[in-house]
This record gives sequence, C-alpha cells and structure tokens, in this order.
Amino acid sequence: MNQTVRCMGLSFQNPVLVASGTFGYGDEYYDIMPFSSLGGLVTKTITAARREGNPPPRIVETDAGMLNSIGLANVGLECFLAEKLPWIAEHAGPARVIVNIAGFSVDEFVEVAAAVGSRPEVDALEINLGCPNVHAGYIHFGADRESVRRVISGVRKKVKLPVIAKLTPNVTDIASLAEVAIDAGADALSLINTLPGMKIDVAKQKPVLGMGFGGLSGPAIRPVGVACVYKVYQHMQRMSARVPIIGIGGISCGTDALEYILAGASLVQVGTASFVHPQAPGNVARQLAEYCETEGIASISDLVGLAQQR
Amino acid sequence: MKPVFEWVRVTRISSVAERTFVIAFKEPKSAAAPGPGQFCMISPYPGSSNVYLPRPFSYFRAPANDTIEILFRTFGRATRWMASLAPGDRIGVFGPLGNTFNRQPGAERAILAGGGIGIPPIVLLALSLSRLANPPQIDLIYGEAYGSRVVDLAKVVPARVRWHITTEDGKIGVKGLVTEELSRILDTCKTPPAVYTCGPRAMMAVVAGMLTPEKVALFETACEENMACGRGICQGCVIPVKGEEDATRYVCCCTEGPVFNGFEVKWD
Repeated sequence: MNQTVRCMGLSFQNPVLVASGTFGYGDEYYDIMPFSSLGGLVTKTITAARREGNPPPRIVETDAGMLNSIGLANVGLECFLAEKLPWIAEHAGPARVIVNIAGFSVDEFVEVAAAVGSRPEVDALEINLGCPNVHAGYIHFGADRESVRRVISGVRKKVKLPVIAKLTPNVTDIASLAEVAIDAGADALSLINTLPGMKIDVAKQKPVLGMGFGGLSGPAIRPVGVACVYKVYQHMQRMSARVPIIGIGGISCGTDALEYILAGASLVQVGTASFVHPQAPGNVARQLAEYCETEGIASISDLVGLAQQR
Repeated sequence: MKPVFEWVRVTRISSVAERTFVIAFKEPKSAAAPGPGQFCMISPYPGSSNVYLPRPFSYFRAPANDTIEILFRTFGRATRWMASLAPGDRIGVFGPLGNTFNRQPGAERAILAGGGIGIPPIVLLALSLSRLANPPQIDLIYGEAYGSRVVDLAKVVPARVRWHITTEDGKIGVKGLVTEELSRILDTCKTPPAVYTCGPRAMMAVVAGMLTPEKVALFETACEENMACGRGICQGCVIPVKGEEDATRYVCCCTEGPVFNGFEVKWD
C-alpha cells in the first residue's frame, strides 16, 4: 500500500527513518537492512574534524535501554563528503538522505552545514544540538535559547535545504526551545535526543562508562519522547508557524511508532532497536502499513496528533 | 561472507564446570563456517527476557557441519538468562562477525594461551591449526583461577596438541598462572613461535609485556569490549591502539578485531 508521507517539501516513501548514530553511514547494515526500503537514513553526526571519540567503555546496557558515551566519533567532514556520501547516494534509491551535523561552536555548525548543504545528494540537514558549546561554558547548545537561535539561524542563512533541529529533552521547557528553533528557521524538529544517565559498577565503586555519564536510549525513554512530542505539538497549535515533528526514542515496533504519530509526529526514527535487531526499522514500517490496512486508514498522516486532548 | 541474523532453536545446553555452560544451536542456514576468533551476537527472542542488547560470544566449536557451540560463563544478567535456556528455546544469532586469528606459515611452534572464559577462541584455533596440512607444534595453555571452573577439554582438543593446565588454587594442573607457564614454554623455543592469547585484559597485558617482536614470529590477542551492534555502527566497543607518534587511536573491536596484533594494543 502507499505509505508516502509529505514532509518539509519532501516525499518520504514511508514514515520510518533510521536515527543518527544507530545506522552508521548506511553501509554497515546494508546487506541485512537496506535503508533504500525506508523513508530515509539519518547519518552519524558529522563534525568539521575527524574525532577519535571517548575512552572505553563507551556503552553499557541498562534496564530497557543502554547508555552510550561515544563522544561523536566520526570520520570528519572531508572524508564524509569524499568517501561516505557518494556511497550513500548511490545506494539510497527512493530513501531520503539526511545528514546529521554538529559543531563545538556556532561557526563550526555553520561551516559544516554549508559544506554538506551544497551537495546535491543531501535531502535535508539534521542539527544535533546535544553538543557542548566550547565558547559558552560547555553548556549544550540545545539547553540554551540563545545558542539554539544562533545555530539554527546561522545554518538557515547558509543552506537552502530543509533544516531539522534535533532537540534535547534535558531542558525545563522543551516547547519554548522548539519555538525558538522554529522562529530561527527550522523546517522540522527531531524529538528527542538521549537523556543523561550513569551506571555505577558496585564492585569497582566507580562509573562503568569511561566518561562517567552517558546518553540513555532505548525503550526506557519512550514515554519521555512521546511526552515531548505531545507537548511541542500542542504548543505549536498556538503558534502561527508550525513545522512537522520527527519522533525518536525507544521505537522498536509499529505500536511504538504509532504512539509518536498519535502524539503529533509526522515521521519517526528507529534508533537503538537496530542494534537489537538489524531489521527493526523495516519491521516498524511493515507493521505501520499493516495497521493502516487493517484499520482502513488511507494515509498514516491522518493519524498525526490524534491523541491530543480534544 | 556476509553475516546472517537468524532466530534459531537451542538444541542442547549443558553445565560443564562451575558457572560454565556449553550451548549448542543449529547454524543459521546461510551463514559461513566461523573462523577461530570470530564471534556472534546472541539476543533473546522478543519478550522472553529482560536482557535488551545482544551479547558477543566467541565461537567455541562446530562439532557437526550445521551445529555451533558456544562456551560461556555466568557473570551478569545476559549470561544468567542464557544459562536458563532449554532445548527448543529460540535465540537470535547474528554472525559470523569480526576477523580471525592468522596463521604464521614460517613458525614451527604455535603457543596458545587462554585464560578463564577466554578459552573458546583458543580451542577453535587449536582445532583449526591442527587440521593444517603441515601443522606447527601446538602448545595450548589453559588457566583458571579455580580448579572447579576447569572445563574438560580432553575430548575436544586433538591428540597432537600438547596441553597444559594451570590453576591458581592448584586443584588441577600446575599451580600458578597462565603467564608463568607461557614463560616456561617460551624458554624451550629454539625459533620464534607464534603466540596467540585470549583472556582477562590484565593477563594479556602481562603476556604483551613478556614478548618483543624479535622473540616471536607472530603475537595475536583476541580482545573483548562491551558491544551493541557487532558491526562497527555504534562505535561502542573501541580498543585503544598505538597510532602515529604513539598517539592513542580507538578502533572497533567488532570490525577491526576482535583479533589484534598484540604489539599494537595499548595495554596500560
């Protein structure tokens, strides 16, 4: 059946994308889960320079999820554009190519965005605001209204492509930050990034992860993500400018995706679930299609925001 | 050969030593035969366990063409879940993943040192080397802290392999450490041997400290780190290795390993 979703002026063959950092540069899982059958691929975060990342251990399982502190390890902008992006474009088929970018200063965000945004293979940029600002006391860009405004408006001025602001849930009022991002020119919002967490090794009496703190993902954070999507969607009904929301956090089956869609998401991203089962994103897309078929729903977009209290 | 993800059924599970089990399952139909050092990710069937992420396990044996055996020891909730499995239960298996130990054709002797639950890939390597047309003389050292944890490998390891057991409590074999036995065997080598090891990080670090590139023809270690994907995507399982000008580089244990040149790993 037709699962097409129109969003940000783009057509997505189905509403399921793979989340940044959980599908690499598309090639690693391609033989098992070709992303060309999905709505789109969101690449691993790209920064200007190559990054080695944080000392191990970098991941640990927690109840219904995992903690990671990878430290934005990536091949860097130059290698990405020269080696990774051409491969992705060649294998994407009808799937959309969304490049996730980050910087440690506003200038770095803008520099990376301009370079990636000038490439015809790219359909949209996702801005990872969960990155520490070296010029502002290492506070995450996404936690500060002024930083969000400067990054998004800076990127907006440099690129014509759709710009997606990926917001962190670690703020007092995510709706007000969403509003700042929209006012600064974001075409869509990705909600949510990971939550900060820590696991302590009781025998060693110290944190398990090499950096101590990590980002929590997996089913454990789904209620938080759904609540953020619901809250922001609700807030947007009172705004003149409204943008689509991409729901992320603990989605591993069609029902999980439906929760996000009913809360207000137009698209969803499957993340950590790909580690558990590489075919999870494809299964989510199939289960959504089956749901629509069974329930006689013409378009999944008809369900967006239906759970909002009426 | 591409790795395969498949739900398979456990065919047998048996307790072989204290906290130590062998689990057998049918090899995924389209999967390649695993090489020594390679691993698979094992995950619970959805809803059957509170274990969330898959866990990496080295292949132990492939006693029949379509059967795979994994030797594991209970440490945390994933291994406790595995120990609770029964024949007929379904598990997810994704493999074979990672690289394999290499053969050093010129080396007349191969010394294999496995510490604790690091023994499975060492056994598979011993089996693989002994099947070569012109095999080296193989010494296999297997060390455990306690005699109660020693797995009886007599029926598993080929007769041509000379094997040595060490236990720290002295209940079985020679009382002492794997590394002490390794040192004794190294002293008997007239030409540089190939040395292979897998075990606790501290043990492998001691082995690395005993060896120099001049003393051995080859030194390979099978490493372990927490993993989520097994495919180089999550970048979670990095091992520190020596980069240019002794800078630390982090490389994925799952894709660039788990077998590394032991001289390249940063052990401190």
